[in-house]
Amino acid sequence: MKRVFYLDGQTVPFTSGQNVLEAAIAAGMARQIPYFCYHPALGSLGACRQCAVKIYPHDDKHPPRVTMACLLPASDNLQLATVDKEVHTEHREIIELLMLNHPLDCPVCDEGGQCHLQDMTVQTGHAVRRYSGPKRTYHDQDLGPLVYQEMNRCITCYRCVRFYQDTAQGDDFGVFGSRDRVYFGRLEDGPLESPFSGNLVEVCPTGVFTDKVFRHDYARVWDLQQGPSVCPHCAVGCNTMPGARLGTLRRVRARHHPEINPHFLCDRGRYGFRYVTAAERPVQARLHGARSRQDVVLRQVAMRLQEGRSGFLGSPREDVQSNLALFALADCLHAPFAALSSPWMEALAQQCMALPQAPTLSDVETADHLIVMGDLGGVAPMAELAVRQALRNGAQLTVLASQPTPLAEAGDYRPTRPSALPDLITGLAEDVCLQGSRRPVILAAAETLGPAGVHALRKTLARLPANARAGVFQNSPNLFGAAYFAVDGHTARLQHALRQRQIDHLLCLAADPLGSDWGAGTWRSLVPGLQGATVLDMVDTDTVRAAEAVLPTAAFPERDGFFINYEGRIQAFAQVYRREAPVLHPQENVNSFPAAAGGQMHPLGPPTPQYWLGRLAELLDIVKPWQERLAFYQHFLCPISPHPDSPGVLLDDALRARFEIAAAPAAAPVGTEDWELDLFHWYGGETLADAAAELQSLAPARGLRVSADISAPFATLSGPCGRLRLPVIPIVGMVAGVVALDQEGFAELGLYPGEAVQIQWEVAS
Amino acid sequence: MSLPTSIADLQDAALIARLQALVAESPVPAAAISAVLYALQDARGYIDDVALHAAARLTGLSPVRVEELCTFYSLVLRAPAGRHVLRICDSIACHLAGAQDLLAQAQAHSGVALGEVSLSGALTVVPHVCIGLCDRAPALLMDGEATGPVDATSLARCLEQWEADPWKPF
Repeated sequence: MKRVFYLDGQTVPFTSGQNVLEAAIAAGMARQIPYFCYHPALGSLGACRQCAVKIYPHDDKHPPRVTMACLLPASDNLQLATVDKEVHTEHREIIELLMLNHPLDCPVCDEGGQCHLQDMTVQTGHAVRRYSGPKRTYHDQDLGPLVYQEMNRCITCYRCVRFYQDTAQGDDFGVFGSRDRVYFGRLEDGPLESPFSGNLVEVCPTGVFTDKVFRHDYARVWDLQQGPSVCPHCAVGCNTMPGARLGTLRRVRARHHPEINPHFLCDRGRYGFRYVTAAERPVQARLHGARSRQDVVLRQVAMRLQEGRSGFLGSPREDVQSNLALFALADCLHAPFAALSSPWMEALAQQCMALPQAPTLSDVETADHLIVMGDLGGVAPMAELAVRQALRNGAQLTVLASQPTPLAEAGDYRPTRPSALPDLITGLAEDVCLQGSRRPVILAAAETLGPAGVHALRKTLARLPANARAGVFQNSPNLFGAAYFAVDGHTARLQHALRQRQIDHLLCLAADPLGSDWGAGTWRSLVPGLQGATVLDMVDTDTVRAAEAVLPTAAFPERDGFFINYEGRIQAFAQVYRREAPVLHPQENVNSFPAAAGGQMHPLGPPTPQYWLGRLAELLDIVKPWQERLAFYQHFLCPISPHPDSPGVLLDDALRARFEIAAAPAAAPVGTEDWELDLFHWYGGETLADAAAELQSLAPARGLRVSADISAPFATLSGPCGRLRLPVIPIVGMVAGVVALDQEGFAELGLYPGEAVQIQWEVAS
Repeated sequence: MSLPTSIADLQDAALIARLQALVAESPVPAAAISAVLYALQDARGYIDDVALHAAARLTGLSPVRVEELCTFYSLVLRAPAGRHVLRICDSIACHLAGAQDLLAQAQAHSGVALGEVSLSGALTVVPHVCIGLCDRAPALLMDGEATGPVDATSLARCLEQWEADPWKPF
């Protein structure tokens, strides 16, 4: 039977555990009950006293009374009223009290148009201020490049501190003072340290915390073009709502997805979007480093492809269709194709695909026993947030990592060498705690585990009870999508063809084989055989700078497509806006009308990779076979195309099953005396987000992270592909014999996590 | 505010030992925070930044958490205070019994604004929230000791005596 209570005579359905306000909001009756401190993710507090309702008890003893809806558990046949003189008085007077000190700066406030306080004030009918005395004022703090504070606007709902301290478990932001002088901020000026600090902007019901990045490129929110998108900065695939104005992207907010990110977004997802507006972003076609007309560049590339000495390289950073389009073109030209830049990554992707269905982040939140391997928060911050919610619910957490990550401090930290992980994982099958848990979940940073580790994880899961789940995370949005084409040995074949001089031209789709992609060291060693590379990309990379031809592509909010996230969930994103690129010089832009005749002032921004590849197919006269192949692949791999607003569809198990036959990868043996490499990843780092200036101003110093008992100031690492001299950053609590390095470093050395490395320590003089 | 790196910055071995003993005898380190703050305030006059970070380090709380406590509790001082601290209750009962006059008198005596240290270093006067001595209004806390009712003469006598006290190190 449907459970209901009555609000102003209307039935309101509820489920057990809900409070009255929660049920009323869910039923679309929020207009009758104004509220501030209640937030669906943060719960009820009763701090603001705004959500008053009158309750009519069903007995003769108690008179009707006014109470707070957010603190009143919903129960059957409850009789409540808001159309009541007392309730109205309470609503009106509380809002007047809350507005007492609030500045009248709404016309210049960034929150304008999305201000919960403004909405509630107007809704409640508090239109005229009676108080004319002095207002309480505060000094604002500089909270860094991402969040702007204006404390005078505060109505002390405590949402910010509940999010920051309770949900995100950050410890550098708090609430100070008491009574009418309560202050929400840091101990001193300085950037907020939590990877989730940007959510303050969204949880604050008024303009105390506003988006500082948006502030510097501001548009009124009602003028923003918004649309459903998916975050391209890691494998979690959080749902986002980018907002653009006049052809430029201004901000990104969280979009509700019940199983991935119901409310929040990490700072990489929120502020990483600035790669779209970065000055270095390639927006015009280039030939030999100089801006050139599209058709000239295309003809040159087509000529290259016609020679039949080209290789094709896709990327897990690009969406499914673009990779498919590239694959189809390579297929038509019978050219070697690889979706991933190194055989190691290929094996890793296949092993990831072969894992059984991963838990959703909401499953992770309800886990009772968690094992986390590697720096999960550095790779996929939202996965860390989910783990922290599980911790709040009383879950037990064990962290196997080589360095004391923020998550390790919250759980049981077991210092572990990366090369020991596969054996440890195999041992987990016998783990009594794990066997006895009701909902055990194993989460890992994919690259720290490596192919051997992920393989061991799959074998262990098969031996654990069926309720045990595992998910591995990576920082590219479409590893699963790219894994589709990662047929055994494709990358090795492509590299072999280049080494044997069978090919001398590389067409790269959002790949950076000469820069920081995995395996870049090997590619760099093959450069002598490379007569030129063509790159389709949306950010400035080493490969873009070195390329013969550059075909700039639309950023993700500028087009539609699909990503497949870590669970194998196909999610669609929609084009949010149309980029308007700066006008070319009239001489270069011959197709446009002369400026004097009102010319084309805002030519369209970069087109999609499919457009470029289609044009190339046209020039090569293979449009029909290319389209047929593309349609076939799409039909085979994505028979159902989810709508951008839908929660997405999970990959067919049958499609994934074919990856289970992938051979068990062998990890390179590491001696106990050897120095061993692990991956260091900071929460804001990712190829696209690396171009976001505001976020990157918080990046930690580059260096070699090593146990604190090493006193050398510098170290030189040698790998098969190169040498690297880095400053040494001592880390207390790091495992002895392990050094942590960023992805660029690995690319330079030509090594992978868990492998041994030669290190020369420079003695301090 | 630069972050002190160790509790040794307190530069008082006996105090550090006392604080460590307080932490050791509490069921969890964080539970000792009030006792630690009082001990630090007794020893140093107020909770300066060094004391704040030392308290955080000793109890395992974050400095922000310690600051939250310091700013919430009116008996914990985060600004320099005189050798003697006079807290005059200004809540309703004491207000009706003339607390405002006492505050004005004490402030005039100190010669500086409320909450500041008098030029001689002897006195800090602060208004205080209700101390539960409404039956003995107007009431005060003289160096933490509750007294009441107090009139202008007895207050003046006490202030004179404090002024005459020789300076002693904390």
